[in-house]
Amino acid sequence: MRLSKLLQLPLVLTSLLLPLPVATEHTSNWAVLVSTSRFWFNYRHLANVLSLYRTVKRLGIPDSQIILMLPDDMACNPRNAFPGTVYSNADRAVDLYGDNIEVDYRGYEVTVENFIRLLTDRVGEEMPRSKRLLTDDGSNILVYMTGHGGNEFLKFQDAEEISAFDLADAFEQMWEKKRYHELLFMIDTCQANTMYSKFYSPNIIATGSSEIDESSYSHHADNDVGVAVIDRYTYYNLEFLETKVREPSSKTTVGDLFDSYDSAKIHSNAGIRYDLFPGGEKAARERLLMDFFGNVQNVEVDTTNSSSGNSTDAEWEEDILALGKKISELRKRQEALDLQAQAQVNNSSSVPPPGSLKSEVKLPTSKIRAAKVEVDNSWFGKKAVGAWALAGCSLVWLAGSYLESSPSAS
Amino acid sequence: MALNHQDASSPAAMREPGEDSTASVRRDADAPKGAVVAATKRKEPPPETLGSIHLRTTVILSFWAIIVFFGLPLWWKTTAIYRADLPLDEMMDWDKGVACRPVFPLRISIEASSLQEHEAQHLLRTTQHALDDLNDFSAHHLRLQLAQPANASISADGSTTGGLEDEVALTIKVLPGPEQASELQSYSPVLDIYYTPNQVPSSSSSSSPLATYIANQLRTIFAEEQAMIAHLLSTSSAPPERSPKAPPPEVAEALAKWTSRSMKYSPTYHLTFSLFTPTATPSSWDIETAIEEHMKPLLDTLSSISNFTIDTQVQLYASPGVSGALLKKEDLSGFINAAEWPLSPSIGGAPTINFILYAGDMEVEGGGRSWLIPQWGGVVVQANVTDLRPTMLIFSNQLLALLGAPEAGSLPLRLMTLIRVRSAGLLLKASGTLGSLARLTRALPSISIPQSVAEGVYTTIEHLRKACDGLGGKEALRNARIAEEAAEKAFFEKSMVGQVYFPDEHKVAVYLPLLGPIGVPLVMGLLKDFKAWKKRRSAI
Amino acid sequence: MSIDRRKAALFCTAAAVRLLLFTAFPGLPDLLTGRVEISTPVTSFKRLQEGLFLYNHNVSPYDGGVYHQAPLLLPLFSLLPNSLDYPIFTYIIYILVDLLSADALMKIADSGEARSSKLYTSPRKDKKWGSLEIAAAFLFNPFTIATCIGRPTSVFTSCAILHAVAKAVAGSSLTSIFALTFAAYLSMYPILLLPPLLLLCFDRRRSESSINFFLGCASAVGGSTYALLQMSYIITGSWEFLSSTYGVHLLLPDLTPNVGLWWYFFIEMFDSFRNFFLGVFWLHLSSYVGGLTIRLRRQPLFVVTILLGIFAIFKPYPSISDTSLFLAMLPLYQHVFPLMRYTFLTTSTVLYATLLGPAFYYLWVYAGSGNANFFYAITLVWSLGLSVLVGDILFAVLRDEWEVERPEMKGKEIRQI
Repeated sequence: MRLSKLLQLPLVLTSLLLPLPVATEHTSNWAVLVSTSRFWFNYRHLANVLSLYRTVKRLGIPDSQIILMLPDDMACNPRNAFPGTVYSNADRAVDLYGDNIEVDYRGYEVTVENFIRLLTDRVGEEMPRSKRLLTDDGSNILVYMTGHGGNEFLKFQDAEEISAFDLADAFEQMWEKKRYHELLFMIDTCQANTMYSKFYSPNIIATGSSEIDESSYSHHADNDVGVAVIDRYTYYNLEFLETKVREPSSKTTVGDLFDSYDSAKIHSNAGIRYDLFPGGEKAARERLLMDFFGNVQNVEVDTTNSSSGNSTDAEWEEDILALGKKISELRKRQEALDLQAQAQVNNSSSVPPPGSLKSEVKLPTSKIRAAKVEVDNSWFGKKAVGAWALAGCSLVWLAGSYLESSPSAS
Repeated sequence: MALNHQDASSPAAMREPGEDSTASVRRDADAPKGAVVAATKRKEPPPETLGSIHLRTTVILSFWAIIVFFGLPLWWKTTAIYRADLPLDEMMDWDKGVACRPVFPLRISIEASSLQEHEAQHLLRTTQHALDDLNDFSAHHLRLQLAQPANASISADGSTTGGLEDEVALTIKVLPGPEQASELQSYSPVLDIYYTPNQVPSSSSSSSPLATYIANQLRTIFAEEQAMIAHLLSTSSAPPERSPKAPPPEVAEALAKWTSRSMKYSPTYHLTFSLFTPTATPSSWDIETAIEEHMKPLLDTLSSISNFTIDTQVQLYASPGVSGALLKKEDLSGFINAAEWPLSPSIGGAPTINFILYAGDMEVEGGGRSWLIPQWGGVVVQANVTDLRPTMLIFSNQLLALLGAPEAGSLPLRLMTLIRVRSAGLLLKASGTLGSLARLTRALPSISIPQSVAEGVYTTIEHLRKACDGLGGKEALRNARIAEEAAEKAFFEKSMVGQVYFPDEHKVAVYLPLLGPIGVPLVMGLLKDFKAWKKRRSAI
Repeated sequence: MSIDRRKAALFCTAAAVRLLLFTAFPGLPDLLTGRVEISTPVTSFKRLQEGLFLYNHNVSPYDGGVYHQAPLLLPLFSLLPNSLDYPIFTYIIYILVDLLSADALMKIADSGEARSSKLYTSPRKDKKWGSLEIAAAFLFNPFTIATCIGRPTSVFTSCAILHAVAKAVAGSSLTSIFALTFAAYLSMYPILLLPPLLLLCFDRRRSESSINFFLGCASAVGGSTYALLQMSYIITGSWEFLSSTYGVHLLLPDLTPNVGLWWYFFIEMFDSFRNFFLGVFWLHLSSYVGGLTIRLRRQPLFVVTILLGIFAIFKPYPSISDTSLFLAMLPLYQHVFPLMRYTFLTTSTVLYATLLGPAFYYLWVYAGSGNANFFYAITLVWSLGLSVLVGDILFAVLRDEWEVERPEMKGKEIRQI
């Protein structure tokens, strides 16, 4: 990637001749998995997201790089016949809610504003790192959303909606700030394809479950749970990922996944958008699924010390010697500086101490005002103030009454 | 009930009265304000008095006065999107690299006490000449100077202190020796060059083997730094003619690796040292002293670039993500058991660098017991944890690699290079952020831009200017750091979020339900009064 | 004499009823204090206690964002013993305030201003209630009693407004203005009553040039406002109280439900339009002042009455205390009641809302079987009922005026077209 970038201005032709794998390089993988609907009958949306969560975790993305947004807690819903669990299949083979689940945004935290803040990283100081999308220009991001949507919008909770324009602008802001390298956008909702129709930022592959004026359907219901447990589009995506992408070294491509979409099974026409991707359809289809669903770690094995312990030991020794010397030198210099600083202080003696003194004095007083509740020693003073205020007001009143009553009497 | 006015009157008769002439428009306090027209059922009601007409007009005007003098300014003020003025063109200039031409003039002083003054001067000239011939990258050039005599430099040390020291990137000591050789001192940025007497250049020749040798040595030493800076410049949006020609593929690959390996710059890093053991033993390690002895010195030397905070942990019965005594290279990325090992991102704001010692007996296929995970940390597999020295040495090398230090050279040189590369990187990043912000401001006209963003932008530009002027020194790093921080803060301003997209039909839906019921009677009242006024005028 | 004795009897009975309620049902005051219909964020007795505690412990009462009431209330209440230990003192204060209000109301009624002002005399001026009946209607109004038991600080505002009107009717402009600025100092919105009140004052004083009078009044308003604010500044030690009291009235940061129309609307409002609609709502509230004062120039007391009705519906944090103030003034116009047309509708709507409001609030907040729309719907009905009442009484007064112009139409039906 670096290389091709280096060359791309003068030498477009040569970059085409270069082997493609170089261009796929990214340094980290992130996943943003969002369900946007709450309430029990939307069980399947949370199950969708949790299934995908399980899959990307299985393929190696660590929890710290998965942002999971769940607006409701199905596992602890009083209507759940299997408390503490969430299943996405009627066979109930895999409990998606296992012991290792880290929900980053939950309940009423799942809002349009928080979602856009997450993407654009416009968050306050108070936001912990685990709830932020700390991506850079080397990060591939998988964004998966599911919920109830319509033409160019996706409903969040029951109160608000995100529009396709807002989403497109958010991605543009991410691209502008180099917050992603490549982005795979998947959405499972009614009229899903309209949601990515407004994107205009490069390096995005987008796919959705259904066309405009088309609904997305659930796959099947679990009669004991009592509601539908998964949506069709997500179900077939997962089926592909479970059967074809068994281990992190899988070479299955994005194209393979897209080819597996069958409108007869999904009951809606899944859409795919390649035109934002450099290289268009061909390049996009050749991306590995693991580039988005797995975690890349190009580990570098230290071979220097592998050959033999002895020869390298000398090197280390040398290094530590250098360090030691450097340190002693630094210390010496530091001492000299200190002496110098002291001399300066002595020369211009009076200036710094008052400043430091003042700051020391100021701090405690400002603190008391905010936090410390004193035992009330001056209750008498308060009463005096009260009496004074009361007397003042009534004096004004009486004086006014008197002044005005006398002329009218006369 | 109380309604005792029950004149029988047919509905037809009631609708009859002229709606204009005698109707007395009255304000009803009911919401929405409705014009109440009371009229009699008689066909020809008496004409309205002038007084009541006047009264009605004043009442209508009193409502309209409030709308015009308070309502409209309010509407204008509260629905306007505040957009602070940003120096957009200047920001774009920084982004395009027009505003700043990053140059790294490195001063290299030559100490040649064994040579005559004129010989030294000549050597300096020829070497500089040779260097200039070799250099093809104008942004990074080495400038030679003669060192002051030793005693003078000592006396000068007291007064000019840092200035001299900051400026001189490397000191060359030219010493007579049995054969031509060079040696980089490992504890200070000094290069010893030994020459044989016959190499002393004659004042007549335009070049000398010694000069060429020195030039080549210098070039070798600074090649990596030059490549790094060139790479940084080329990946930024600086104009292409400034970038040097493309490096050879193997260098490019090394640079790409360097980029992907090194952490993003942060003023503080958090180091986590973790011991994972597969069983109950070893349950402790002497990490405090090891850090104190082996890690602290290195961290102290790095303190001019970043600060570090440290914590440690021990986990028993920890199983890695892959098993087997021989680890395949592809499996290494799965070695870290992200699901079970408590390696959460740090709680504070600083990025974490993880160092993991796994107390197991494993080996990577093809040899090696330690590896580095780019932008994340390092792993060492070692069964015996009594002697932590080798582990700590590996960790410290990994740390330097993760911080983006060059691989070759003596430690002081590597650190100075790191400072220069970091300040260049920060400078470019801040410039890029400014450009992003400017483009975003233009692209999204409905996003609000608070004053704090404008302030941040001006701070950034000010410090970028300072950093750009003094590139190569420590001050530049400080300025670039401030600039980058301010730029990031301005770009990620918290209040610049909101639903930007607000179509016009939504606005109708917002305004109409409330303002419609209020507005209709007001407008109708005004129109009616206006019509009556015209009629009266024409009648006169 | 007999009037005085009857008045004393009336006041004693009213005080006894309240004392009985306070003491016989010890849980009642706290229950009512917590009701959203009675306590709003800017008048709540609970919040006053919080502010008082902070004030007594030398912490700024506005730290913590709970207390939004005027600073002057704090030293006044700190004069009383702790209301938890000795609640009886607080009870007595609130009962006294009610009686003072009733007294002012009686003075207004006695002046006969409602039936015959300087510029206008109603043809129905002989049909009247005595001041005792009017005071009784106020004192035994269940809304008034509930307000007294719930102890919101809005009763002080009501009392100050009534005294301002009583003094204005007596022609004492200075005290009237002082009372009004005190009311405005406590809850801000009463300042909108200034134009009709000045006219009322002006009408009741015979000999003075208008310019002198209004200049004098303006300086009196300025002076007393300045004095009150300066006093508050001395008490709290900073100007922070301005934003925590009047800022809250203006910007509505606390969206606790109440009987008004604002809270639900601003919960639902898009953030970017919030400020605009805050302005619209405030302008809407104040736009009535000018129009009504001009239209009803001849009956300024009625302008005050009708504005109180409008405020009870449209102000940012209304409670039934504001309604009880409006209902207190209303019987002054008992002589035009026969001209009203929708008394049955109004009465039944208000009763309906009164009974169902607490029920729906319970369904929403405690039982969880309803949602916010339940309660909001009932506040809409409540506001509708009050609006019809306000519109109806306005119609009746206008008709009354009209019949002076057109005596031949008396007793005949008219029709709106």
